[in-house]
Amino acid sequence: MKTIDNGGLADLAQTLAGAGYRVAAPIDDGGVVRLRQWLTGSRIALDAVPVNSIKDFLFPRSEAVARFALGEKDFTSLPVEPAAPKTAVLGARPCDAAALAALDAVFNWDYRDGTFNARRAATTVVSLACARADEHCFCTSVGGKPDGTAGADAILRSAEGGQRFVFEALTDKGRALEAAAGNQLAEGAAQADAPAQLKKRFDPEAVGRWLAANFDSPFWKEESLACLGCGACAYACPVCHCFDLQDESDKKECRRLRNWDSCGFGQFTLHASGHNPRPDQAARWRQRVMHKFSIYPQKFKTLACTGCGRCSRLCQAGMALAQTCERIEALGR
Amino acid sequence: MMEALRQEAAKLLQEKRAALVIGFADRPGRPALFVSKPEDCGALVYDAACRQNLAAYLGKPEIRARLPVALVAPPAVLRSIVVLTAESQAAAGQVLALAVDRDAFLGTFDASRAGELLRAKYPDLAPEPALLERVRELSRMSASERAAFWQEQFAKCTRCYACRAACPGCYCNRCIVEKNAPQWVSTAALGHGNYTWNVMRAFHQSGRCTLCGACEAACPQGLPLMTLNAALDREALEAFGSRAGYDPEAKPMIGSWNTDDDHSYMR
Repeated sequence: MKTIDNGGLADLAQTLAGAGYRVAAPIDDGGVVRLRQWLTGSRIALDAVPVNSIKDFLFPRSEAVARFALGEKDFTSLPVEPAAPKTAVLGARPCDAAALAALDAVFNWDYRDGTFNARRAATTVVSLACARADEHCFCTSVGGKPDGTAGADAILRSAEGGQRFVFEALTDKGRALEAAAGNQLAEGAAQADAPAQLKKRFDPEAVGRWLAANFDSPFWKEESLACLGCGACAYACPVCHCFDLQDESDKKECRRLRNWDSCGFGQFTLHASGHNPRPDQAARWRQRVMHKFSIYPQKFKTLACTGCGRCSRLCQAGMALAQTCERIEALGR
Repeated sequence: MMEALRQEAAKLLQEKRAALVIGFADRPGRPALFVSKPEDCGALVYDAACRQNLAAYLGKPEIRARLPVALVAPPAVLRSIVVLTAESQAAAGQVLALAVDRDAFLGTFDASRAGELLRAKYPDLAPEPALLERVRELSRMSASERAAFWQEQFAKCTRCYACRAACPGCYCNRCIVEKNAPQWVSTAALGHGNYTWNVMRAFHQSGRCTLCGACEAACPQGLPLMTLNAALDREALEAFGSRAGYDPEAKPMIGSWNTDDDHSYMR
């Protein structure tokens, strides 16, 4: 059994960085805990769920997917190499790691996405089992567990009241990271703490059944009144993956950008004609819930939600996905 | 205080002076609560944990379809209602303010009359001292230090536009950041596009911002947006004597021009 002291994580990050990994970890960034690149001196903060998710490292918020050199009357394509450095994400949450299956499904569905897959292959995920859950967490309602290992290459489990962690490699990538960590991971024995206890709040299958049969329900109008139509929920979500393609150019070069997009925005489905098939926030919030609990499971046999709770934790208007699901389940009874 | 607020809200609904009351729910985070039946008004609460500026809902078509609307409004939100009135976004008889202060319910004011309460009771609303200190701290920096500070902050922006959604003053159907023919602001959530977006958002609020703090509270990345807003608020006051949200007849500073303005910068 390999263990590491709580205070030893910075040394582990340092060693992995020395071994050629770009190390990402939850870092206290002026009071906001952000999953970002660890640099010497960064303060690792494991108590709070970071505001951003693991998807930032696989599907960045903006990237060029094509480039063109502009000539007088023509243009030539320029190569775009995906930046996919060898990366170790230390201290991702089990709900982050669980999102990888859902992302793999959509990015390899009818088209194999080169940049996503290159980053995915280069990324080793070391998740941190949750010792605590807050009122927004609901992983157990969507098939997850506070100490779940789905999607993870290795897992750290809190031991001795958080003083130490037990490290367990789960895949070849995890074992390679363990080897690279050398003596930062020491042979030893420790009793892992009990993971967070989290009561199941709703049954996603019951929610999916109601959704598939109640597209025109008046429920959506009332349920979406508070939503102000920003992208905070979608951008923080580890599974949301909608993007918008935009061409931007100066006189010499054009870049085709892939930017995150959100179904909450009024312009998300606005047609050039002026018609909008999702004309109000009720239709947009319905889309968000249906995509996660009805459309995605039908198409990919997996939910598009891992219960991380970021969407409701960050929503200024108090929109809470788990609460919507509870209400839907009650309607279906 | 809470009881007086609930009773008044119920009365407005009962007398059909309002078809919808927007207040705050007694749940963690104090989310907005929408009440259309008098008997449901008992669920309304108000305390210091209520961070949203409910006047932002006046820009939402689904809410506009349910006018007249009454909003729970602390002083900064009253100012927002006055700004919206001045900008023809809130009409007399259509928007009512349930005026509240920290521990008092102050009565119901029509959008056209909210300025009277502000002028009488809160004539000198100014940024909190801690916020002004943040502004002074930045003023002491050199221009390049200040630019570096904001560059670092704006680099965190994901362009989720939670700040814009939070703000009653951001009611454009199509924000300039979303126009693409021509495109004014880079859409990439990176570098100069982020810088342009954030500075432009603040500029469009200069002389209109009521310092309610909802944008900063809404930002998932914790950007200090109020520092920027408060700096522009001071500029508007000192250079143009403009104090947003006191006079429903006042033309917004950013949308008006006066021959007496200081033109010395044009040479």
